[in-house]
Amino acid sequence: MDPVTSRPGRLLIHVFLIVFAIYSFVPFMWTALQSVKKLRDASSRTPKFLFSPTLENYEDLWLRSTPENPETLAFFLLLALVLLVCLLIFAQHIPLRRDLVYGVAILGLVALLWLIPQLLDTASFYDYFINTLIVTAGTILVSISIGCLAGYALARYAGLLGVVVLIAALAFRALPRLAYVLPYYWIGSALNLIDSHILVIITLVAVNQPFTIWMLRSFFMEIPKDLEESAMVDGAGRLVAFFRVIIPVMWPGIVATALFTLLLAYNEFLLVRILTQTNWTLPVAISRFTGGEDPRHLTLAAAAAVSSTVPIVIVILFFQKQLIKGLSAGAVKG
Amino acid sequence: MERRIFLGFAGPSIVVMCLLMVMPLIMAIWLGMHFMTFDNVLEPQWVGLRNFAAALGDERFWQSFSFTALYIAVVVPSWIVIGFVVALLLDQVTGLARGVYLSIFLLPFVIVPIVGTIMFRQLFEPSGLLRWLYQELLNERFRYTEQTVKSLILFHGIWYVTPFTLVVYFAGLQTLPQDLMEASGIDGATRLQKIRHIVIPHVRSLTLFILLFSIMDSYRVFDSVFVLTGLNPLYKANTIMTYTYQTATQLERLGRANAMAVLTIIGIMVVLIPNLYLSWKEQIAER
Repeated sequence: MDPVTSRPGRLLIHVFLIVFAIYSFVPFMWTALQSVKKLRDASSRTPKFLFSPTLENYEDLWLRSTPENPETLAFFLLLALVLLVCLLIFAQHIPLRRDLVYGVAILGLVALLWLIPQLLDTASFYDYFINTLIVTAGTILVSISIGCLAGYALARYAGLLGVVVLIAALAFRALPRLAYVLPYYWIGSALNLIDSHILVIITLVAVNQPFTIWMLRSFFMEIPKDLEESAMVDGAGRLVAFFRVIIPVMWPGIVATALFTLLLAYNEFLLVRILTQTNWTLPVAISRFTGGEDPRHLTLAAAAAVSSTVPIVIVILFFQKQLIKGLSAGAVKG
Repeated sequence: MERRIFLGFAGPSIVVMCLLMVMPLIMAIWLGMHFMTFDNVLEPQWVGLRNFAAALGDERFWQSFSFTALYIAVVVPSWIVIGFVVALLLDQVTGLARGVYLSIFLLPFVIVPIVGTIMFRQLFEPSGLLRWLYQELLNERFRYTEQTVKSLILFHGIWYVTPFTLVVYFAGLQTLPQDLMEASGIDGATRLQKIRHIVIPHVRSLTLFILLFSIMDSYRVFDSVFVLTGLNPLYKANTIMTYTYQTATQLERLGRANAMAVLTIIGIMVVLIPNLYLSWKEQIAER
């Protein structure tokens, strides 16, 4: 659309957009405020905007007992975290083999996550956080691996069978989760897998597979056929051509799809709620803070909500472009 | 690509979908014909079609069905209208401001739905900001009744999915046919006329896409209703999904819940079949 040029017109547009931004943001702002209030301030009937902030809600949520010298410990843990994240971000500029740098950084992060409960007396919320990481990482790994192969095949195969698979996947995507989850419970009981990470990961892969193959296929369609054909003329088989030639140019599409898989796995509630008894992920753990009679739940729920949102916001800030591209690509192509 | 190679590549994915999507659906029908609680999961008792009959004769099942219909009727048009208007406004802004607005607008959609609902709920707790505002403005106490809880569910539904339609429309606006816009400008078309005669026809296929998918997605809404309906356990403001869930977990009637899930699938066919037909035609043409 051609831009509005008149001054009052532009002002009006910004006023509307700011109002909409406030409407989108108020729940976040309010919850963040509640999470740093003492319970007495948080449960005051008239909202308090002036109060002495406290981190005790976060402490109660993450730790079972307060360590002796919290400042030093927090300082060193944060320092290690920042260093490792910087390593990940600037890996491209380090004059070493890139996969080596990524490997070291990821190993370091895992070691750090393992080290934290050794140094601090962490509460069960930390275990739920680790469960969430395991489930999310596992789902991304399996889902993208088999999804890439299928998405590529669906982009290149012209037979009717390909269309049947695509349309069937679309139908499965639309059906309510509960129709799958209750039979999964039966399968899990029969195989004695209830409460295990494997069951949650495999079922998450399955319910997200239709979406994954559709999205990856749309990215593979953008890659010209000549690319692998010329490699295959040179004597490489299709599998070799796929891994050597196609995958390297597919990375942006894979990252975008992985981002959506991450959000779907991190957000899943119903499936995890039914298939686990104690090995919860964050959404299920947080839902425990609602509906209880305990007044402490008010501020604990706020702290838990903020704690689980921060990682997602960081991921989104890094990958905002892919997110918007993915959202609109899926739609514009229909 | 030959069929053999296609099957080799797509095989793992197809096997996963057959084992964990096709098979569970058949199992859901089979389990729906059994009496099953959490105690006899592996030895369910055959009852034939009794569960299906019981679900169809259950008044609360139909109440939750009609609330689901109301949810779709209120929430889906709101997503489309608000998303379109805000996308038009956002299109007027450029540069850094555009990115900042977009990031804030996207927040309700990208965070964990359960967490977003809990944040929303914090506003209406006895010490919440909006409850206080409500009482100051209207000078009456805010109470959780069936009506207020249902309104909160609708309000939250609008709040958290509008960013999706907004982004889709916003992307659609970036591909407007420029020559047509310029020509209509020379012919003296006003801004509203342009929106009416060029922009809206341009985004028609997007609107159809949003309509089909958002009807299907709001039909199976679960997470947010699950959190908000707990606000007043006396009057259950249930959608089909939460009612089926309660039948499974609180009443421990797993067989009945399976039967209800199968019945809801029949309900979704009304939208799903036209959608599948359209996609089928499109894919065949593209082939």
